[in-house]
Amino acid sequence: MKGYHLGELEELILLTVGILDQEAYGVAVLEEIKNQTGRMVNISAIHTVLNRLEEKGFLKSYMGGATEERGGRRKRIFTLSAAGRAAIEEVKSLRNKLYDQLPPLALDFSNGQ
Amino acid sequence: MDSKCKHFPPKWPDRFLEFYCNPSRLEQIQGDAYELFYMDLEERGLAYARVRFLIHVLSFFRWSNIKRTKSTYQTFSHGAMLKNYFKIGWRNLIKQKGTTFISVFGLACAVGCCMVAYLFIAQIWFKGLNQPNKDEIYQLTYTAEGENGLVTYGAVAEPISELIPEKLNRVQNHTRVLREFPILIHKNESYQQRSIYIDPAFMEMFTYRMDYGFAGALRDQDQVILTHELSEKLFGDIHPIGQELALVVDGEEKLYKVGGVLADLNDMDMFNFDLLVNFESHPYSTLDITLEEEWNSELWTFIQLEKGQDISEFNAGLQALTNIQNQINPDKPYLNMGLVAYSDLVYKVDEIENGVRDFLGLGPQILLGSIGLFILILAVFNYINISVLMASKRLKEIGVRKVIGSRRSQLVFQFLSENLMVCFFALFLGCLLAGFIFLPGFNEIASKNLKIDLLRDANIWVFLGGMLLFITLISGLYPAIYVSSFKPINILKGSQKIGNKSILTSILLTFQFTLAIIGIVAGIAFVQTNYINENRDWGYSSADKIIVNVPNQEDYLPLKNKLLALATVNEVSGSQDYVGNWIREEVLEFDDQEYEISLLNAEANYPDILDLKLKEGRMFNPELISDTQESVLVNQTFLDRLGLTFPLDEKITLDSANYSVVGVVEDFHTIFFQEAIDPMVIRASPDTTFNYLTLLMSSGTAESSLNAVKKIWHETIPKGLFQGKLQTEVFDREFSDVQGVRNILLFSAILAVILAALGLFGLVSLNMNSHIKDYCVRKVFGANLSDISMKLFRRYLLIWGIAGILGGAFSILIISSFLDSFFAFHSGVGVFPIGSGLVILLLVVAVTVGSQIWKILKANPAVILKSE
Repeated sequence: MKGYHLGELEELILLTVGILDQEAYGVAVLEEIKNQTGRMVNISAIHTVLNRLEEKGFLKSYMGGATEERGGRRKRIFTLSAAGRAAIEEVKSLRNKLYDQLPPLALDFSNGQ
Repeated sequence: MDSKCKHFPPKWPDRFLEFYCNPSRLEQIQGDAYELFYMDLEERGLAYARVRFLIHVLSFFRWSNIKRTKSTYQTFSHGAMLKNYFKIGWRNLIKQKGTTFISVFGLACAVGCCMVAYLFIAQIWFKGLNQPNKDEIYQLTYTAEGENGLVTYGAVAEPISELIPEKLNRVQNHTRVLREFPILIHKNESYQQRSIYIDPAFMEMFTYRMDYGFAGALRDQDQVILTHELSEKLFGDIHPIGQELALVVDGEEKLYKVGGVLADLNDMDMFNFDLLVNFESHPYSTLDITLEEEWNSELWTFIQLEKGQDISEFNAGLQALTNIQNQINPDKPYLNMGLVAYSDLVYKVDEIENGVRDFLGLGPQILLGSIGLFILILAVFNYINISVLMASKRLKEIGVRKVIGSRRSQLVFQFLSENLMVCFFALFLGCLLAGFIFLPGFNEIASKNLKIDLLRDANIWVFLGGMLLFITLISGLYPAIYVSSFKPINILKGSQKIGNKSILTSILLTFQFTLAIIGIVAGIAFVQTNYINENRDWGYSSADKIIVNVPNQEDYLPLKNKLLALATVNEVSGSQDYVGNWIREEVLEFDDQEYEISLLNAEANYPDILDLKLKEGRMFNPELISDTQESVLVNQTFLDRLGLTFPLDEKITLDSANYSVVGVVEDFHTIFFQEAIDPMVIRASPDTTFNYLTLLMSSGTAESSLNAVKKIWHETIPKGLFQGKLQTEVFDREFSDVQGVRNILLFSAILAVILAALGLFGLVSLNMNSHIKDYCVRKVFGANLSDISMKLFRRYLLIWGIAGILGGAFSILIISSFLDSFFAFHSGVGVFPIGSGLVILLLVVAVTVGSQIWKILKANPAVILKSE
């Protein structure tokens, strides 16, 4: 198969959803990314990506967990689907495979300083 | 947590989010936005959080989040829904034929009246605006110092027209327009016709549809173009092109051929004319006059600019023209010249002296407009009342639909669509009514030529569309919203009460009755005033007298002598003006004070011939020379106004000559009863030349001799226009005018009564239908006629009473001031008009309610109570 074609942000968010496990919704993902990578992502971008991933079948979602801060509105909780987990695996193994083919740094003198 | 909830995200961005967001995503998006807001609030404070909230809302505004209208499948179902609305509506209308008829008929009458009023008003305000070049045409004006500051005049010096091509650049066409009232002679008949003398370019600037001939006919100086009406009047069925006619201006006769006939103008042209004539053929062009005289004669001048030309570029050219004029004619300097857009002429009526439009006549417009509105209100109230009641029969339908999940807006839409259908029928019927009944009648009364021109007049469509929307909303919105507001639980339980005792119904009914009373009072008061005025003493004897005009001074004596030779003529007297027409005003000096008075110059025997009633002193004595030089008669008003009593010791001064007052006559009506009697001085002048001759005929021969007099007149003055008439006819035109107004008022009063009656009938019969069991039970238990009648009548009598008080008070206020503005002499709003208004309305109530009581009396309780 040709692979899952995950974009960089898609991959990041997919991973975050996996990490958060049953707690993943828009704001939580945003916070988690900020804490883990220090990166500020726009909330609407996160929503777009979450919805797109769901359309692609990598995520599943259900409504749940109303809180007072949300004015009594429910969260849409995202979880990894089997396809999502497979995609992460796939991407990771691809990365690893490519990484392993890098020549060792110490033997390379061809482009010296 | 508590502290957080003191603050809320800003409202407007929140609403915006709710407005655009796809409902399936709204909850999560809004929730996240709120959560972030409170997080920001905690970290950075309120202001920051608010701004961030706004930014978030804006950033969510993406294609994937925006609510979109439905797919094709849903549009289709929308159409089906609409069709369904109309189908249900149609069935309902068919089921309720009587009430539908009342609504449609009432609204149709109202639409018809409004249509006539609209056409009348539009004919004044949109006059001439059908011209395709209206945006490029301008009229030249000039401003000069007047007695009370600056005055703008619409007519400019005649030679300016010749200088236009030279001084003003990029003017496509220009024309002079001269109004003239020549005498038109055709086949030995003479008429006075409104003509405008124009340059041939006029026909290129202004576009007219032609019945015959072509618009360029005026390039030939011997040709004229007639209006449709004039052509019919002169030639009837004969083909008019090439026919000959003669025009007499200032005694000069000139022959013309008909070169074209315009299609009907429907009173919608800027200029009022019967025929168009080439300017060069006017005697003025061949007149030998000095340059200054040429510049002194003023006429309307119009220019047509090239397309897209800005008028500010003309300032220099206009200044040059002003300078030339002031050089040649320094006695009458222009301050500056200007251009007035053709389409603005109507709005500048008051600003331009001597302009194309002289007055707008607001009075009739207000009268007609308020009648239209008045009928419309009556009809709309009828409709509101009836449709609220009608809905009571459909309570179950409303309840079931609501329970099944119909939204309120859908119910409102359902009712409005039914309403739209009623209004559409009403509009259609109203157009027919207006076109075939109201307008012809109105044209007859107002001597207008109004028409509903659906093909060419775009404004009428705007009016009809606006009317449809307006009536639909105003009459349908309240019933629709009211009816759809019921709670299904109440309806289905049967505890929902509706309509029949509602305060609104009573208020509307009271209002209708009040309007009807005002209408009746207006009609009756006007009829009464007319009756009194028709029988009013004119203050002199009008019998056996013929008045003829004398156009030229040299004809005076020959005409007088020839007329005296006629066997039936007993006496002839000349006068400058004649009684029964406008009489010139002069300034009189008395006791070092100035007074405005009417001055009647006449021969010494004129007061005797007219049979004026002498009050004190004596009439003129034709034998006394002093009487024709220094004596005057005055009327009673004169003495009252100046606070004098006869005999006067002092003399009065007119034109710096002194006169003594030898007698006082009773007041008499020289002009119609619309004006009060002015102080009048009658001065006997030597028998020289007068404008009119009054012939005293042998008793009873005036009418039969008129033709003989006309014949003699024409023999003496072949190129003149005979304007002779009987003294008894002098007020005929005014009488027919007020009769026209009377007819309009009577018509609207009758319509108002009919509408009020129909509305009442609808209300009572609908009420009765829903309560007939109630009354039948009463009947079974022995209620007699008076019990049932009292119960039914009480409410309507109360409404009648209130409406009577209100209507009486209002009509005293409104109708009196209306009569005041119309007549100086009128009967006022007395007991009779108000009393008859009340009685008529009471009869209407009695008959309408009585018919329903009759229905109960005839009803067999067994049949009605059995049915369930």
